[in-house]
Amino acid sequence: MSAIEIADLTKRYGEVAANDGVTFDVEAGEIFGYLGPNGAGKTTTIRLLLGLIKPTSGTATVLGTDIRDRRALTEAKANVGYLPDTLGFEERLTGRQVLDYFARMRGDRRREELLELFTPPLDQRVETYSAGNRRMLGIVQAFMHDPDLAILDEPTAGLDPLKQDRMHAFIEAERDAGKTIFFSSHVLSEVQRVCDRVGIIREGKLVALEHIDDLLERGGKHVRVQLAEAVDEERFVTAEMIDVETVGSTVRFTYTGESAALLEHLVRFEVEDVDIGDPQLDDIFKHYYGDDSPAREE
Amino acid sequence: MTAILRLESRKRVRGSIVLLVVFGVLSALYFSMFPGIQEEMEVLEEAFPGYMFDMFMIEEIHTIEGFIAAEIYSFFWALLLPIYFAYVGAGLIAGDVQNRTMDLTLSMPVSRESIVLQKVSALWVPLVVLNVGVPIVVYVGARLIGESFDPVSLAMVHLLSIPYLLVCAGIGLVLSVLVDHVRTARAAALTLVFVLWLVDAVSRVDPDFEWIGEVTPSRYYDQTEILVHQEYALLDAGILFVGFLVLLGVAVLVFIRRDI
Repeated sequence: MSAIEIADLTKRYGEVAANDGVTFDVEAGEIFGYLGPNGAGKTTTIRLLLGLIKPTSGTATVLGTDIRDRRALTEAKANVGYLPDTLGFEERLTGRQVLDYFARMRGDRRREELLELFTPPLDQRVETYSAGNRRMLGIVQAFMHDPDLAILDEPTAGLDPLKQDRMHAFIEAERDAGKTIFFSSHVLSEVQRVCDRVGIIREGKLVALEHIDDLLERGGKHVRVQLAEAVDEERFVTAEMIDVETVGSTVRFTYTGESAALLEHLVRFEVEDVDIGDPQLDDIFKHYYGDDSPAREE
Repeated sequence: MTAILRLESRKRVRGSIVLLVVFGVLSALYFSMFPGIQEEMEVLEEAFPGYMFDMFMIEEIHTIEGFIAAEIYSFFWALLLPIYFAYVGAGLIAGDVQNRTMDLTLSMPVSRESIVLQKVSALWVPLVVLNVGVPIVVYVGARLIGESFDPVSLAMVHLLSIPYLLVCAGIGLVLSVLVDHVRTARAAALTLVFVLWLVDAVSRVDPDFEWIGEVTPSRYYDQTEILVHQEYALLDAGILFVGFLVLLGVAVLVFIRRDI
């Protein structure tokens, strides 16, 4: 059974479609990355899944429950963890009181274990918390009732690098224990590192849905060629080369064709050195968004 | 599932105690004044134009019941406290939506109906603290200056104010589910409650226009009738309570249907 099934999910605000016919499934036991720049519609999808907002058309199921069935969805939430992008806590409570409050509604059998990994200052009021501490408190509440499905909206925003690594290792361990993780991010390296599959959303539309390995493969190879002398670009560049950058006698590009054809092409030139490597997801991302897309931002 | 009720109740404690202290200090002030100005009050009744008294529903202010009804209940209890309840009601939902705590609350296995009902139920704190604390202060204060105060009418002036205060909280609550910005919701709620009170007060002045005030909640709560004449309008209190339930129902229905 899929943990999440999204079928033609659409949310319109007047003329603007925040989500436009989004369709994909998140399988049980995988880490699914939901990738897109800010404003692409990631948070809209997540809020639809949680029943915070209602779809204009289409629907989705969360752990087998239709999101339009309000009562059933409320019950299903006992088994879902949610980490919102903007964390709103009762500011006057201490971290411990906040966790006690959530525990009364949903349980906290893994609280102590989580607090060994993520360490917000529990005896201080939340209003004194840094962004990182707020995020850690959010992570603890999202997982402390041991949910089968965790929906995380930009889960590592505000965390220091050490805690980011810890978070990545933690969700991998959760996946290995059979849990499903759905997380959104605009941080490409993060998705590349931990996700099994990725969906890319742009302007409310899902533009790609791939296994991360396929995506990396399809994105072509990252190539750097060191030539003996400056080269005539018109003669050197082929249709399969994209994002070409030439500095003196060094040419960098992403090659989208077959490797053999590239080598055949290169031997016609006086090559001093060649470096062919896996592309960064960043480069793949550029294909979907284009270099000049105003929507692209960090 | 009472976690929200517990948290919300806790959040109401501080404001309730502050209000109780304010009422205590004010009562002490009025009781210390009363013996010295009791005679002047009769002069005052003659001197001021009648509509002033009609607006504030003031009668018999040379008696302790009339004086306290005028000084404490007609202004603080019939106007300022309802505004406070409207203000609190307006913050219940809009505040959480605006600061995003509602996102996390709604990610819990708790229905939207339950969230609204638990939050409104937490109003028991100010209702109990003020309706127990203030009559004790008034009763003890009256005894201290050697006056007797009818304990039944004192209890009734508080008991019958509860539906009135709830209606005002309900007005705030409806605005709270309609408006996302908590400051807008609060401003609208306290303005509305004040305007309704003003419409009632002004309409009393001219019998031809008195009917206009019948749509205002304050028309159904008359502290002077209770304290001075021992007339307890139970039907009016019932009407207010039904009004509160209607407002609560509207708020729940709106909140269930809306996007957060």
